[in-house]
Amino acid sequence: MLLRSFAVQGSWNYQTLIGTGLAFVLAPALKEVYAGDAEALRRALGRHTELFNSHPYLASVAAGAVARLEADGVPAETVARFKAAVRGSLGTLGDRLVWLMWRPMSVLLGLALVLAGAAWWVGALAFLLVFNALHLWMRAWGLRIGLRDGLQIGRTLKGVPFAQLGDRAAQAGALLAGFAAAVAGSGHAGVPGLQLPGGMHPVEWGLALLAALLGIALGPRIRGAAALAMGLALVAGLVLART
Amino acid sequence: MILTAAETALVVLIGGLVALDGTSVGQLMVSRPFVAAALGGLAVGRPAQGIVAGVVLEALHLAVLPVGAAKYPEGGPPAVAAGAVYASNFPPVAAAATLLVAVLVALALEQVGGRSVALLRQWNVRFAGAPGAGLTPGQVAGRQLAPMAVDFARGALLTLLGVLVLGWLLRAADFSGFPEIAVGTILRLSVVAGVASALRLFGRAHYPLFLVGAAAGAGVAWLI
Repeated sequence: MLLRSFAVQGSWNYQTLIGTGLAFVLAPALKEVYAGDAEALRRALGRHTELFNSHPYLASVAAGAVARLEADGVPAETVARFKAAVRGSLGTLGDRLVWLMWRPMSVLLGLALVLAGAAWWVGALAFLLVFNALHLWMRAWGLRIGLRDGLQIGRTLKGVPFAQLGDRAAQAGALLAGFAAAVAGSGHAGVPGLQLPGGMHPVEWGLALLAALLGIALGPRIRGAAALAMGLALVAGLVLART
Repeated sequence: MILTAAETALVVLIGGLVALDGTSVGQLMVSRPFVAAALGGLAVGRPAQGIVAGVVLEALHLAVLPVGAAKYPEGGPPAVAAGAVYASNFPPVAAAATLLVAVLVALALEQVGGRSVALLRQWNVRFAGAPGAGLTPGQVAGRQLAPMAVDFARGALLTLLGVLVLGWLLRAADFSGFPEIAVGTILRLSVVAGVASALRLFGRAHYPLFLVGAAAGAGVAWLI
């Protein structure tokens, strides 16, 4: 089940979201639960392909808990109500901790290292190790507590300090963002295409500060603004080169 | 085309695998532009050059959130293509201009990739929509694996498109006399703005920590 949980989003679709993925993860457990009753197994797998959603790393919590409920002979209606009840909270918990805090912090660690002059593999490896330490733990721990606690999983999840962990990651991320922005803006970055021969002029520092403020103000919309600036720079450069 | 046929095949294979990592299988984050571009560079023997394109693309991808059914740009396969082509073209006549073109093509492909992911998810309904009756374990596995195979092919095709377009553009472009320093400044400022945009994710309460980090970064930059 743990290995299959890595492919839980393999058939992500706009109708049942990761419903089929959950059934795929549950299949080995259901085969044991319904051993010798092929028709009951077919019906159970069919039921579990219905709409379900969760953060992918916490889907193992739901899979473990559902496997436990099926093994305990809990009625299908109760299992369906349980799935509907946990899918929202498993999504929100994971999205906030992983996508919003942990991943940006881990990426910024790798970026900061490369910008400060570390070898490419040091930055990439640091990012992958830090990020996946939490990721792999969430999958394995989630499956274990799901199988152990079944219907009581909500109580167990409430006791885990996800919010505190997210807050610590946000603090580290903000520090690393400042560090990486300053090194990149300084013109001394350890990345050849971003270096400025001869050092920075005060005007360049001012521009870097403005860029940082613009980035903070625009958030994800900075992509469009940066692409526009780069496109204009390309056109202007080509025109200048020919005159 | 700048890459050899063997290099192109390897880069396309990596692009397909990276596309799978993005959503379908693993999500170990080797699909982040930062890592994917280094892998593209590695395929042509120059990972340190590949990651240069990855740093710019990653900075501009930091604040993108893959939450729920949201439609978002896909960073992995375009970064593989950009990293590979930029690295294979190294040392370029005009480093900043070449990097600028690689990044712009990758940004455009990220949008195409995002659209193709949305189309795949619509198409997956046929494969993985809820059945009226029950299913055997084999049927469930089939419903799960077929979309993954299509996702791999989608990522590989997107990467091939990036390699071809970027290779053609860099071969056709004449960057002699190009104002390198000005373009380098635009790239640098884009990285600064992109990195700072991540601060929005962490919340206003942590803005002072950004300043502390910036002071430390300025100190390190002064030392190196």
